[in-house]
Amino acid sequence: MNAFNIGASLIEKINSGVLVVDESFNITFFNKFMESHCLLKSKDVLTKNLFDVFNDLPEKWLKRKIQSVFMLNTPGFSSWEQRQFVFKMRHARPVTTSSEYMAQNITFLPILADESGSEVEQVCILVEDVTDVCFYQEKLKETLEQLEVVSRTDGLTQVANRRFWEERFEVELETANRYKHPLSLILFDLDKFKQINDTYGHQGGDLVLIEITKFIKKKLRQVDLMGRYGGEEFGIILPNTDAEGAFELADRIRTEFAQFPISFGNHKILATISLGVVEYDPSFDSYEDMVTRADIALYQSKASGRNTTSLYRA
Amino acid sequence: MSIPVLICDDSTLARKQVKKSLPADWDVTTQFATNGREAVDILRQEKFAVLFLDLTMPELDGIGVLEINKAEKLVDFVIVVSADIQPEMQQKVTELGALAFIQKPVNTNKLSEILQQYGLL
Amino acid sequence: MNEIALSEEQRDCLQELINVAMGRASDKLARYLDTFVHLQVPHIDLIASESLPSSFAESYADDGVSLVSQGFYGEDGILGEALLIYRSNDAQGIAEILGYEPDDVSEVEQLTDISSILTTTFLNGLAEQIENQLAYSAPRVVSALETALESHLHQLSFNWDLALKVDISYQVTDYSFNCDMILLIPGEAIQNIQKVLDRILNEF
Repeated sequence: MNAFNIGASLIEKINSGVLVVDESFNITFFNKFMESHCLLKSKDVLTKNLFDVFNDLPEKWLKRKIQSVFMLNTPGFSSWEQRQFVFKMRHARPVTTSSEYMAQNITFLPILADESGSEVEQVCILVEDVTDVCFYQEKLKETLEQLEVVSRTDGLTQVANRRFWEERFEVELETANRYKHPLSLILFDLDKFKQINDTYGHQGGDLVLIEITKFIKKKLRQVDLMGRYGGEEFGIILPNTDAEGAFELADRIRTEFAQFPISFGNHKILATISLGVVEYDPSFDSYEDMVTRADIALYQSKASGRNTTSLYRA
Repeated sequence: MSIPVLICDDSTLARKQVKKSLPADWDVTTQFATNGREAVDILRQEKFAVLFLDLTMPELDGIGVLEINKAEKLVDFVIVVSADIQPEMQQKVTELGALAFIQKPVNTNKLSEILQQYGLL
Repeated sequence: MNEIALSEEQRDCLQELINVAMGRASDKLARYLDTFVHLQVPHIDLIASESLPSSFAESYADDGVSLVSQGFYGEDGILGEALLIYRSNDAQGIAEILGYEPDDVSEVEQLTDISSILTTTFLNGLAEQIENQLAYSAPRVVSALETALESHLHQLSFNWDLALKVDISYQVTDYSFNCDMILLIPGEAIQNIQKVLDRILNEF
């Protein structure tokens, strides 16, 4: 076999699609890979117009793309990351991947009328199957997203962990300051939590923590953010909410939760919470200032017999 | 008698390229100018038959030279040799009295044609 | 490493080759895009890898910029990367320049498409003159508007000390579109370019 024949035979055997079009977009070459992945026969598509053979191509874009190769005598590219596929082709992993069509990297190459000239006579469209790359990239993306969620979530209660909650608090504080919007904070703590743990064991205590956060979450808006601040202490950031609104919400949560029995085995646990509420004031230097003041209000609630809501007043 | 030719370009390579592309059977003596200002100074002192002129140059650009030449009639035949071959530019230099516009790098055959057309060769 | 330096003749020669390549590119682009494309006189420099991030930071300090990279390689060890830089207000409206239906094409694809066209038309014009043939990798968005370019470049580790840097600005006045192209030819490839320049200089 001479070099020319080897080349010709290899094009039929390679794991990439090769098709060639002329200036009127008529197909002049269609290799085996294209035949088998498109379920078409070379003899049926040759001399036919590309856009008649594949009638769901992004025509305007693809025509400009091929034209650029003809006019500029430069290669063109299409990457799966921007356009997962151009040709709807079956891929070689129909069992293990979820995507229906082959992910493709495509190169458009000028074919010159005469090697020493610059007149482009035809354009070769080289289609590479990158379904595997695409598959692993998607997996990686999913994993990173999960990791992101995990890194900002409290493992037990699934509310924000302290680090993430504080980060968000700082942002909310800046926003409130800049736009002169009100911002409030509720800090709450389970009453006699040690007793619950002693009576029902840590599993019982954990369940109470899970149930109280679930209970409160339903009462919050999308913009509010609850986070686990310490062992049995939680904070709720309430953007665009003044002291009055925050106090009303806090006290409603308190009274409703006090009547909410938590089933634990054969037991019904009735727990209560104490709350401290504070509204942001421009004289505060940081979110820590707000937390300190909410803590003072929370201490007042504890001191006045628990199951109480107190508002911090300067 | 050989024809005096001035080649004006800020690039050494470009000046040499123009000189080398002149037809072999064309009897000329060439001189160089490295920018438009220098070219004007030389043209005011000596008589040249042909000026090969680049457009983008420091000090005084090709357009500036053409404007001065239009007013002072320093040289009759100006052939612009430029990398910028967009139609707007071709039109502009023609209006300013350039005879021809040649794309860089200069093609000898094309240059010969132009020279013959104007009876210079 | 700093032994590499361009002689005055080499610099002049490269500048001229680039001027001609730019002229050809703008002519071709004008025809394909059906609008006037203006390329500004290029700036040629040698740059050390450690000063690359800060040099970018100086030029693009306040703007959110998108950076697209496309590699090229040819015969005789000529290789490098072309970086195309778009300021945020220039990343809009590229679809219109390219003659696409805006809904057909994502913003990233508009960026990679126009980058590829600008890079390859210019570099092909350069390659023709040095009788070389270049092949190109697919263009990639290296950093998008959200991330600061400088911090992004700091994260890259370079396997070269010195690179030949060519800055070219593109202006498409009809669409008030601008972008900058920065060619980087790193390390040994500089010496290979120098050989090519010397060969051309010897011909004249």
